[in-house]
Parts: sequence; structure tokens; C-alpha cells
Amino acid sequence: MILEVKKLLKTFGGLVAVRDLDLTVNEGETVGLIGPNGSGKTTLFNLISGVLRPDRGEIRFNGRDITGLKPNRVCQTGIARTFQLTKPFEQMTALQNVMIGRMYGSEPVLSIKKAEEESEKILEFIGLGGKSLSMAATFGMVDRKRLEIARALATRPRLLLLDETMSGLTPAEMEDAVELVKAIGDSGVTLIVVEHVMKAILDISSRLIVLNYGQKIAEGLPQEVVNDKKVIEAYLGE
Amino acid sequence: MNNWKQFSINGGILVLLILVPLITSRTDVLTWLYLTLVYIALSQSWNIIGGYTGQINLGHAAFFGIGALAARYIWLHFGLPLPLAVLGGGLASMIFALAIGVLVFRLKGIYFIIGTLVLAEILRLIFYTILPEADVMPMKLLGAYSLVPRYYLSLLIAVITVAVVYWISRSRLGLGLMSIRDDEDAAEASGVDTQRYKLLAFNISTFLAGLTGGIYAYYSAAFRAGGLFEPVWTFDAVIIVFVGGVGTIAGPIIGSVFFVLLKQILSLYLPGGLHVAVFGVLFIIVVLYLPGGLIELMTKFRKRTSAGDQ
Repeated sequence: MILEVKKLLKTFGGLVAVRDLDLTVNEGETVGLIGPNGSGKTTLFNLISGVLRPDRGEIRFNGRDITGLKPNRVCQTGIARTFQLTKPFEQMTALQNVMIGRMYGSEPVLSIKKAEEESEKILEFIGLGGKSLSMAATFGMVDRKRLEIARALATRPRLLLLDETMSGLTPAEMEDAVELVKAIGDSGVTLIVVEHVMKAILDISSRLIVLNYGQKIAEGLPQEVVNDKKVIEAYLGE
Repeated sequence: MNNWKQFSINGGILVLLILVPLITSRTDVLTWLYLTLVYIALSQSWNIIGGYTGQINLGHAAFFGIGALAARYIWLHFGLPLPLAVLGGGLASMIFALAIGVLVFRLKGIYFIIGTLVLAEILRLIFYTILPEADVMPMKLLGAYSLVPRYYLSLLIAVITVAVVYWISRSRLGLGLMSIRDDEDAAEASGVDTQRYKLLAFNISTFLAGLTGGIYAYYSAAFRAGGLFEPVWTFDAVIIVFVGGVGTIAGPIIGSVFFVLLKQILSLYLPGGLHVAVFGVLFIIVVLYLPGGLIELMTKFRKRTSAGDQ
């Protein structure tokens, strides 16, 4: 068990975004996290990555309590994330973007030269090899998404949270993205993937967790979960 | 190759600047160079927090002022050697930044900008009130006053400041600062301790601003303490950085040369103080139409001419 979320509660004013959520993720898994809009998926990512503090509950990573740690500390313990709306460092090159992750994440490399070499390799892996010296501001949506993942990978995460990295892609781009995420999983990184594109998430995930109104309503093998009556109701209404 | 070329050009300019007082004793030339060097140090120090880290600190005058005042007191009133006084000025600025930093960086965006501006204004009013009399250099020193050592001090501080920015721009620290400028959330998510790094940049920036104040403490025959905190010290630096090229090393240098040149020419032909208005307009034009500053213009021009050669 690499991640353990216990009785997690987060409210915004009167709105309960995440309600007494229990959740575990095992090492090496790729967990798909689905649910209708507003079901608390991104809030959960923000809680795990330290952007938000929970009102109650506990988050344990690798057996260590990380509840309430600042995002940079969470990152350094080995949890990386991407943002739904990509956040590249626009006035920096793709290479520099990735170097930030490499030099500041977990197992950081302090030498500029070494960080450069390793970051080049990560860009190569992600499919941005030829664009390492381009400014991130010049990137189109697909490249921005790739860069976002590259920067997260560069922090050497043991757990990677991917927040809707596939929305807005064409079917062909989607296929590439699915292969990429699978390759990341195969390299030994544990993944939690939030995605709305059902075909992609079924393809990637070894397990699905379904949220609705901040609560877990189903969990299990992907094919079983999507046929679950409660899940269908949550998506389509009764 | 290219590095060597760059290195020899920079070295050449430096040697030339060192030799200037030996070649000429014209005070107008020395004053012009002295001013340019002071502005290089002042704008380059602001560039660290404003240009590289993206924190628009409009209270830079406060740190210039504290540095100048502390250096003046240590040098003239406590009678310690000048190098100690200048260093003391830098440290005084930095210590003040350390004390105020945690508070100031609680403010984000526009509130940070307003907060820092107000900070400098408060200090300005306080110092006009508690030290209303002009601080005049003793007659003994005025009698032996020479511009040459002032010039060399400004050269030294300018070189130190540029060197620090050069080092930052190629370091892990510099990358971290730039990531904060571009996207604070993403920087934090990538492991950068944004709060700590902003404070670090603030301290380096204010230390150098304090050293620059030390030059002025040594240069100025007489000043009123409140005048050291006038917003113009901040805005000159900000304008120079943006006009020259924000977040670059060469930008503030070119900006300072341009600024002092234009200021001298304008003050010849325009009635007192009106040159400030010209700079204001220039600033707006650059921000709107040339966000990369003069540096960008030069790079474009160079590219075009080299493309024309082929």
C-alpha cells in the first residue's frame, strides 16, 4: 500500500467537496478515478498534493503521515501531479521546465549539467525531444500537456496524479497519450488518473474508483464498475 | 568560441572603465559614468526580485534609503572605515528585509505591489520627520572631495551586482526563481519552496540595493534623510529594467546607459523635472509594444542583419 486516505473531509462553506473518504492505492497500480463533474476528483488531488488542507482525516504515503504538508514537501516525498489547466513556465524553455522538476523534486539533482542531460532524456521519452530549446509559451495544447507530464516525471515520483491530461485530444492523439501513460505505469510509477474519456480510462486502469458528491460509490475492476447500477445512476440520473 | 568573445568584450569594457579616471579628469564624463554605474547597480538589484522572481516590489527605495543612511552614519558619525560602512549599509537593508519579508510576502499580486509601495512611503515620511535637517559632509571632507574614489566605488558595486545576477541566472536558484515568476502553483508542485525562495531573492536584492545606497552616502555632499526614500529611486530602477529588458542581465545595463543619456539630454532642453514624464510615456510604450525591452529590439535587429548577410 503506497497511499492511504482515511476519513478525509473537505468542505467549502456549506458545500461538502470530499466526504469521509477512505481510499487505498497499492504500489504499481494504475487507478482510474472517475465521477460526474463536481464529484470531488480534483479536490481530492489538491488534498493529496497539499494545495488544500483537509478539515479532517489523514493522508498517508509510504506509511508516513503527509496530511497538511506544503505542496513542495509533498512533491519531495515522491508525489507529483499535473494540472487540469496546464501550467507551463511560459518564459522558460521546455528543457528548463523539466529541469525545475529534476532539480527540485524528490531525489533532486543539484548539478545543472547533469539535470540538463537527464531532462533531455525525459523530453525524449515524452516525445518532445526536438523541442527542448523552444519556449513553452510557443507550445500548442498537445505539447503543453506533454510538457506538464514531463515536468511531473522529472521530479522522480513514486505516485503520479494525472488530472485530465487527455481531454480535448483527437482520437489519434488520444491513442498516443494512452500508450504514454501505460509506458509510465510500466516503468514502475504508481498512477491515479482522472479522466472523462471512458475508452481511455478503461484501457489504462487496473482498477476504478468512482466518486459522487465527494463519496466513493463504487470500486473494483473497470468492466465491473462501469456496469454497476449505482455508477450508471450517478452519471445518467435515475 | 562565442563565450570567449563575450568574455573578452566584457573584460575589455571593464578595463576601459577602470582606466577612465587616468585618461580624463573631466568631471562631466566621470559624473555621467558614475550615474550610469549607480543606475546599473540599482536596477540590476531590482531585477533579481522583480525581473527574475516576478515580484513587483515597489518599495525598492526603502532598501536603497536604509543602505545609504546606515552607511552614512557608520562612516561619518561613527567614524568607521568606508568599506565597513558600505557593507553595513547592505546588511542593514537585508536585515530590514528579513524582518519585513515574511509579512510582505503574505500579500499576493496587486496587494504585494501596493504593500511594498506603502512601506517605502511610510519610511520616507518617518525619516523626513525624525531627521528633518540636511546631513552635510564635514568641511574637512568637502575640501578634499574628489569624484574619482566615488567613481571607483560605483564601478565596484555595479560589477558585484552584475556578477551576482550573472551567477543567479545560470544557477539552480535562478531557475527556481524564474519558475515562481512564471507560475507559482506549478513551481510549488514541482518541489520549489516558493515562500523561502521569494525571501531569499528579496534578501539578495535588498542587500545589493543597500550597497548601492552606500555609494550615494559616500557621493552626496548633502541630503535629507527622507529624500533617500523618494519613490523616484524605485521607479527609475523599474523603468530601466523594463525599458532595457526585464529578467535579463544585459537589459538593465543597456537600460541604464540609455536612461542616463536620455536624462542628461532631456534635462538640457526640457524645463525641470519634465523628463520624468517622457520616461513615463516611454515605459508605457515599451510595456505595451516591446515587452522584451531594448534587448529584444537589438536581438531582432541583429538577426535581421545577419540574415541579410547570407
